[in-house]
Amino acid sequence: MLDTLLPILIFAALALAVIGAGRRVRLWRQGRPARVDLLKGLAAMPRRYLVDLHHVVARDKVMSNTHVATAGGFVAAAVLMILVHGLGLAEGVLGWLLLLASATMFVGSLFVARRRRNPPSRLSRGPWMRLPKSLMAFSLSVFLITLPTVGILPEDFGHWILAILLSAVLVWGLGEMVFGMAWGGPMKHAFAGALHLAFHRRAERFGEGNRSTGLKALDLDDENATLGVETPSDFTWNQLLGFDACVQCGRCEAVCPAFAAGQPLNPKKLIQDMVVGLAGGSDARYAGSPYPDRPVGEHHGSPHGPIVAREGKALVDAETLWSCTTCRACVEECPMMIEHVDAIVDMRRFLTLEHGQTPGKGAEVLDNLIATDNPGGFDPGARMHWAADLELPLMAQQGQAEVLLWLGDGAYDMRNQRTLRSLVKVLRAAGVDFAVLGDEERDSGDVARRLGDEATFQSLARRNIATLSKYRFERIVTCDPHSFHVLGNEYGELGGDYAVSHHSTFIAELHDAGRLEFRAWKGGRVTYHDPCYLGRYNGEFEAPRNVLKALGIEVAEMQRSGYRSRCCGGGGGAPITDVPGKQRIPDMRMGDVQETGADLVAVGCPQCTAMLEGVVDSDADVRDIAELVAEALVDSAPSKVSKPRLAQQPLAEEVA
Amino acid sequence: MRPETSINPGLEVTVLVSIGRHPVTGRARRADQDARGVELARSLEGAEVQLLHAGEQAETSEAALRGYLGMGFSELSLLEQPQGADVVPALAEALDAAAPHLVITGERAERGEGSGLLPYLLAERLGWPLVSGLAAVEGVENGVATLLQALPRGQRRRLKVRLPAIVTVDGAAPAPRQSAYGPARRGTFEALAGPVCHDEEWAEWQVQPARKRPKRLKIVKAASARDRFKAAAAKAEGGGGQVLTDVTPEQGAEAILKLLREEEVLR
Repeated sequence: MLDTLLPILIFAALALAVIGAGRRVRLWRQGRPARVDLLKGLAAMPRRYLVDLHHVVARDKVMSNTHVATAGGFVAAAVLMILVHGLGLAEGVLGWLLLLASATMFVGSLFVARRRRNPPSRLSRGPWMRLPKSLMAFSLSVFLITLPTVGILPEDFGHWILAILLSAVLVWGLGEMVFGMAWGGPMKHAFAGALHLAFHRRAERFGEGNRSTGLKALDLDDENATLGVETPSDFTWNQLLGFDACVQCGRCEAVCPAFAAGQPLNPKKLIQDMVVGLAGGSDARYAGSPYPDRPVGEHHGSPHGPIVAREGKALVDAETLWSCTTCRACVEECPMMIEHVDAIVDMRRFLTLEHGQTPGKGAEVLDNLIATDNPGGFDPGARMHWAADLELPLMAQQGQAEVLLWLGDGAYDMRNQRTLRSLVKVLRAAGVDFAVLGDEERDSGDVARRLGDEATFQSLARRNIATLSKYRFERIVTCDPHSFHVLGNEYGELGGDYAVSHHSTFIAELHDAGRLEFRAWKGGRVTYHDPCYLGRYNGEFEAPRNVLKALGIEVAEMQRSGYRSRCCGGGGGAPITDVPGKQRIPDMRMGDVQETGADLVAVGCPQCTAMLEGVVDSDADVRDIAELVAEALVDSAPSKVSKPRLAQQPLAEEVA
Repeated sequence: MRPETSINPGLEVTVLVSIGRHPVTGRARRADQDARGVELARSLEGAEVQLLHAGEQAETSEAALRGYLGMGFSELSLLEQPQGADVVPALAEALDAAAPHLVITGERAERGEGSGLLPYLLAERLGWPLVSGLAAVEGVENGVATLLQALPRGQRRRLKVRLPAIVTVDGAAPAPRQSAYGPARRGTFEALAGPVCHDEEWAEWQVQPARKRPKRLKIVKAASARDRFKAAAAKAEGGGGQVLTDVTPEQGAEAILKLLREEEVLR
């Protein structure tokens, strides 16, 4: 009887899955067109899955092995089941292979079940709780049904009631694994995920050591295009596909600094809200952690309805989007390679460019950038006041230099001016041929872009590119990772291609070349904070550590360092929009510093310096790498200027 | 906090907008006070708001004018006037023809003559009442507007004015909303023709950057923090002021001249 029943069941499930898949594809295609090489993407998919995706999943060894067994077993079992039971090709080795595949899958599903016994809060519950049972139902029923086929059990083993029972269990398994995959069950992640990998919007991020972190430019010449994303259908179709691939593992939630600070953002929920939006409905069925302090079930949306309402509630609250620090921790951690930050900036673009609703000090900062080319509204002619006594060589006078020193807006900030002075001292000690743009420099556009003001970003970028094109230099060195990222990764699309280095990279090279000599470190315990825009955005984890090592410092690493470094809270315009939470992100980061027992935290970013130094009652000092290097310089190194350093002796001290 | 306003169906409001000048860089922008005027008009629910600018359409000025469109307007009326023209006759004619109920404008322009006289000259020509330094329009009923006028040190005065009227706003009015790029880019200019009147006196003037005016130092000799606080929070004491009532224009002018001599404004 099973011989007739099984093919019917299998092909019915497959047929329903095909219909469901068609409906799902229709949902994705509501999005805007995107230029994707479909065939090349499909061809690259297995490699992206087996290498790039596995690389991320394998950070959790147990889960990775569980997934390999379960998913690998399932794919093999499904294909073999169609051959053996669907088409009746039971001869030879096929049946045995099917037994092996389903047994492997069963073992995997046992581990899935174990993890679901006391799931961590980052995992979604709801339908996901039944998944291990469904996996077992599928693997066990396939295994048992195959036993008579290979002849271990007699063909007519058991009663017909047993056959009916087995078939019922198989229907459950098939329902979850095949039908559910295409109709929006938990297994949707496999179907959408595979296609998402194939048609990913950043194909260039795949492959060993490759990164793609620059935001994509908005076409401002097309006057009829919506600026940014207003409704879910304003995303490109492959972005919608990417949202649908989410497996709700909550790794993003676990690393999100805004979520930990109690701000109303949870990257996982955000992606799920986008899925609600693309299918239409309410978020009431979401079974994971909500946005902190925002109950589930009050928001609803549709593919062509607004994501953020001008007033009242729609799919997502504006504060959710403005809580993001664009630290990319979620993207780095996502095993599905979903691009959360792109989506958030797309939605911010609409709020800023169309509604004019940049919260907090956002509007003021953007007005300042438009009127004065710096976010603080300072006089552009005062940009070099900090270096009045340094006689810095100007590009306008020299026309060329080996190194163009990009100062960034930190030139207006008294704290960062200390870093800049140190960096100049180091460069002079090494005899580097460098020059600065001086008053010709403008803000790089980083903050404007991340606040969604693409128009101001492009205006600043184009003017900076025009200025840079007047001069000849081999590379740009900057102590601001945000400028580094924007100049290096985002100006290219607008016609400015430069070799850019962070000052830590450059100092490490100078030391390796023997152009700098350091005294031995005599201070206390030191830890190092990886700036997001240097580390995750640009993959520079080693150079700062090498510099510290050259200084004779042994870095006491924080638990979250390197690619898992926790944000200081200063990126993405977050200090400007200032969405309230339960605690402050920099406080948590200084807590991490304190755990290492360090007396000093070395940083390499003016934003991080400002955020971490703003933490009250902290035991650890915050120093930029340039400052540490400048202090450790041995004066015998080739030096053009050997003026006594005035900065060490403060000119005035507060006494009362 | 936005002032409470009633719904004003059919209330026609014209905001006169000029091209501003950023105090630090001198770049053209939406003028701060005019933008506050636009914001005030926007807060009148149900009102039909029109933007009117008199001047020439140049590339630099266009970006500044689009700043007003970005506050949520699809159109801006442009009364085309060559550079250096006296815009009062043209504005008066346009307002007379359009006959709005309420005209809102900033206290003074950020470039050009910037004398702050334009609203007064317009009011004189049109024969309309003028209220300066407005903080809010509280409501309009039966052709009478209830206005809240800002006085120094946060004081407010409620006034009732028969419409049509001209009102001016200064820094006391609510801050203008952010100008959004999308609507600013899409907005259009509707060109209006008007009489051109060359301002010959202005043409003869020499313009140069202003010197910073010397400030009178307020020397506080306070022993304690409490005294310092009291000194900082105290009202400026008028002291030598003098109120003249029922005097002839000649007597008034003489009194003003005497004061100017005393203060060494005139020598």
